[in-house]
Amino acid sequence: MELELKNVSKEFKGVHAVSDVSVSMRKGVYGLLGVNGAGKTTLMRMLCTLIRPTSGEITWEGKNILEMGAAYRDVLGYLPQDFGYYPDLSISDYMMYIASIKGIRPMAARKRTKQLLGQVGMAKYEKRKMKTLSGGMARRIGIAQAMLNNPKILVLDEPTAGLDPNERIRFRNLISELSDDRLVLLSTHIVSDVEFIANQIMLMKNGELFYEGTTEELISSMDESVWHCTVPKNKANDFMARYLVGNVKTAPKGAELRILSKEPPMEGAVREEATLEDAFLLYFGEKAGDIDDTEI
Amino acid sequence: MILRYELKKVLSKKLNRIILIGTLLAAAALSMFAVGGVSYVDREGTVHAGPASTRRLAADRSRWAGELTEDKIAQAVNSRKEIRNRYPYDIPNEEYGKTIQAYNDITDFAIDVLTPDEGWDERVLYQLEDGQAEDLYSIYEANQQKMAKEYGRTPEQRQFLEEQYSKIELPLTYAPMDSWDTILVYVETYGMILAIVVGFLAAGVFAEEFRSRADAVFFSSKYGRTKAAKSKVAAGLLIATIVYWTGMGILLLISLGIMGVSGFDTLYQIEHPYSIYVMTYGQYCLLAVLGGYIANLLAASVTMLIAAKLRSASVAVCVPFFLFCVMQFIGRALSNFLTFFKLTPDMLVNVLGCAKSINIFQIGDYVFRQIPCVMMIYFVTAVILLPFVYRSYHCYGLKKKGI
Ligand SMILES: Nc1ncnc2c1ncn2[C@@H]1O[C@H](COP(=O)(O)OP(=O)(O)OP(=O)(O)O)[C@@H](O)[C@H]1O
Ligand SMILES: [Mg+2]
Repeated sequence: MELELKNVSKEFKGVHAVSDVSVSMRKGVYGLLGVNGAGKTTLMRMLCTLIRPTSGEITWEGKNILEMGAAYRDVLGYLPQDFGYYPDLSISDYMMYIASIKGIRPMAARKRTKQLLGQVGMAKYEKRKMKTLSGGMARRIGIAQAMLNNPKILVLDEPTAGLDPNERIRFRNLISELSDDRLVLLSTHIVSDVEFIANQIMLMKNGELFYEGTTEELISSMDESVWHCTVPKNKANDFMARYLVGNVKTAPKGAELRILSKEPPMEGAVREEATLEDAFLLYFGEKAGDIDDTEI
Repeated sequence: MILRYELKKVLSKKLNRIILIGTLLAAAALSMFAVGGVSYVDREGTVHAGPASTRRLAADRSRWAGELTEDKIAQAVNSRKEIRNRYPYDIPNEEYGKTIQAYNDITDFAIDVLTPDEGWDERVLYQLEDGQAEDLYSIYEANQQKMAKEYGRTPEQRQFLEEQYSKIELPLTYAPMDSWDTILVYVETYGMILAIVVGFLAAGVFAEEFRSRADAVFFSSKYGRTKAAKSKVAAGLLIATIVYWTGMGILLLISLGIMGVSGFDTLYQIEHPYSIYVMTYGQYCLLAVLGGYIANLLAASVTMLIAAKLRSASVAVCVPFFLFCVMQFIGRALSNFLTFFKLTPDMLVNVLGCAKSINIFQIGDYVFRQIPCVMMIYFVTAVILLPFVYRSYHCYGLKKKGI
C-alpha cells in the first residue's frame, strides 16, 4: 500500500497552487494542515484524478494513477471539501446511485449502505431527501458514500469544517474508527482535528509541503519553547508584536499570554509543554490572527 | 442499474415531474383541439362540431369512397357546376350538407390537378368544358410531365420526378381522410413541443453534476468516467424515446380513437396531386411521427453535448427551441437563396410542408428528395454526436496537459 507523489506541481494561470510536492504515504492517518489557500484541496483533487498535475507524477503501488483509471478509482473514496449531492434524491437512493457508479452490485450495495448509514448514525433518516439534511448530516452521508467501496485510500477534505464542537468530536472518532487498514488523508486547518487521530502530520504552505512527520517529531522539532505569562494589559500589544503569541486571555490582573520563544519572554514566565497547536503557530506564525479566528 | 438511478434522478426533480405531466396533458388537450377542429354540416344545414363530427363527416363522404374513376370525378364536377349555376354567390348550408360536403375532396382534387403550379383557383372547375372532367386523369398525367420538366433542372432530376409520378396508380382510390388530415398538423406541433421538453430533460442529465456540485464524487468514482458516462448517454436517449412515444401515443390514440382511421390507405395525392412523395395518409402520418422522433433524438444528443461541454444546462435547453422553432422562420426567409436552408432541422417537424413542395437535390447522378435527406442527415448527426458527449465526460478536467 503505497501512494507516492513525485515532484507534483499544479499551476492555475500563473498561480502555483501546488509546487513540487514529493511524499510517500502508506497505511495510516495523514493530517494535512495548512491555512486557507495553501493548496490542500488542489493536492487532493489531483490525488482523486479530478485534475491533472502540471508536472510530476502520482503513483499507486508503483503505477501512474491516471493511467490506472477505473482500477485506481476503485480503491479510492473521496469526500470533497465542497460536498455536493443530488438534492432531490432520498438518502438511500443517493447511496445506491453512488454505489452503482462505483460498480457495486445492488445486493451488496444495499447491505453496505445499511451498514454505513448505521455507522454514521443516519439509518433512521434513510428515506429523507438529501436537501432536507443539515450540514453535519450531509457530511456524514459524505463520509458514508466515500466508504461505500471500502476504499484503500480515503481522502477527506476538511471533513469537520462547519460542524459544531460535539459533532466534530463525533466525526473525529468516526474517522479514527474507519481508518483501520487503509490510508486516510485528512485535510484541515484546525489542529485539534488531527492532533489525536493522525499518525503523520504534513504541513503545507503556499503550495509547498514543508514538513512531514509524526506529531511527536513535529513538536520536538521546535526550537522554541512555550511560555505562559501574565502581562499588564497595556503591554500586551507590545508582546504580540515581538513574539509569536498563541492564546490570549484577558484576566483581572492583566493579559495571560501563551508565547513561543527560545528564551523566557519575561521574568516569571512559566514553561509549558508544547502541543501540536504551538507547532502550527510556529510554522504558520505570521498568520497568527487567522489561526485564532478559525479556532472553535 | 446505473441507468435506473439516472432516470430516478431525473424523475426525482419536482420541476421535471411537473413538465412531464404537463406535456402528457398537452397531448390530451391537443387531441381535443384536433377533434374539435372538424365540423360537419347535416342535411338541414346545421353545422356540428364536436367529438362525433369527424365520424359523421366520414360517413357522409364515404358515399363517394372506392375507386375514383373519371366518371365519378365528372359526376362530382358536374354537380358542383350545376349548383354553382343555381347559386352564383352564396351556397346555402342545406345544399352544402346535402351534396357538396360529400364530394368536396373530389372537386378539390380536380381543382388541384388543374392548377399544378399556380394558386388554388376554384374557377378552373367552372371553366371546364363538357367532357374535360371525364378526361381529368389525362390532364393529370400531362401536367405531371410538365411539372417534371419544370422542376427537373437536369435530365437525371427529370427522370427522377417522372419515376415518382409513375408510381401513382390511376385511378386513385378515395376514402374520407379528414381525421388524418387534421391529426398531421398536431403531430408536428406536438413533436416540436416534445423535442423542447426532451432537450430540457436530457440537458439536465449532463448538467446535474455541475449544478449540484456533485461532480467531484461522480468523477472520482470507479465508473464515473466510463460506464456511468455511457449510462448517462443511454438515459438521455431513453428519455427521448419514452417521452416521445408516450406523448405521441397518447395524442394519436385519443384523436384517432375519437375521429376514426378512415383514409389510412388513401393516397396523399388526393390532396396534393403533384407531391413527389407517393404515400398514403397512414404512411404519411408514420413518416411525420418518425420525423418527430428523429427531431427528439437530435434534441437529446445536441443538448447533452452542449450541457456536458458548458457544464450547465442553461444554454443547452434553449437550443431545441432554436433548432426547431426559430430555424423555421430563418429557413423560410432564406431557403430561396440557399439550398442549405431547405435542409434545416426544423424540416423534421415540418414533414407536412416538405411533402407539398418539390424539393430535390442532386449529387453526381444521384437525385434525392428533401424528406429522406433531412431525416438521414439529422439521424446521423444525432448518432455521431453521442461519442463526443461521452468523451467530454470521460476526459472531464484532464484534457489538456499543462494549464
Ligand atoms: N480552479 C482554480 N483556478 C484558479 N486558481 C485556483 C483554482 N483552484 C485553486 N486555485 C488557487 O490555488 C490556490 C490553492 O487553493 P486550494 O483550494 O488548493 O487551497 P486550500 O488549501 O484547499 O484552501 P482552503 O483551506 O481555503 O480550502 C489558491 O490560491 C487558489 O486561489
Ligand atoms: Mg481546500
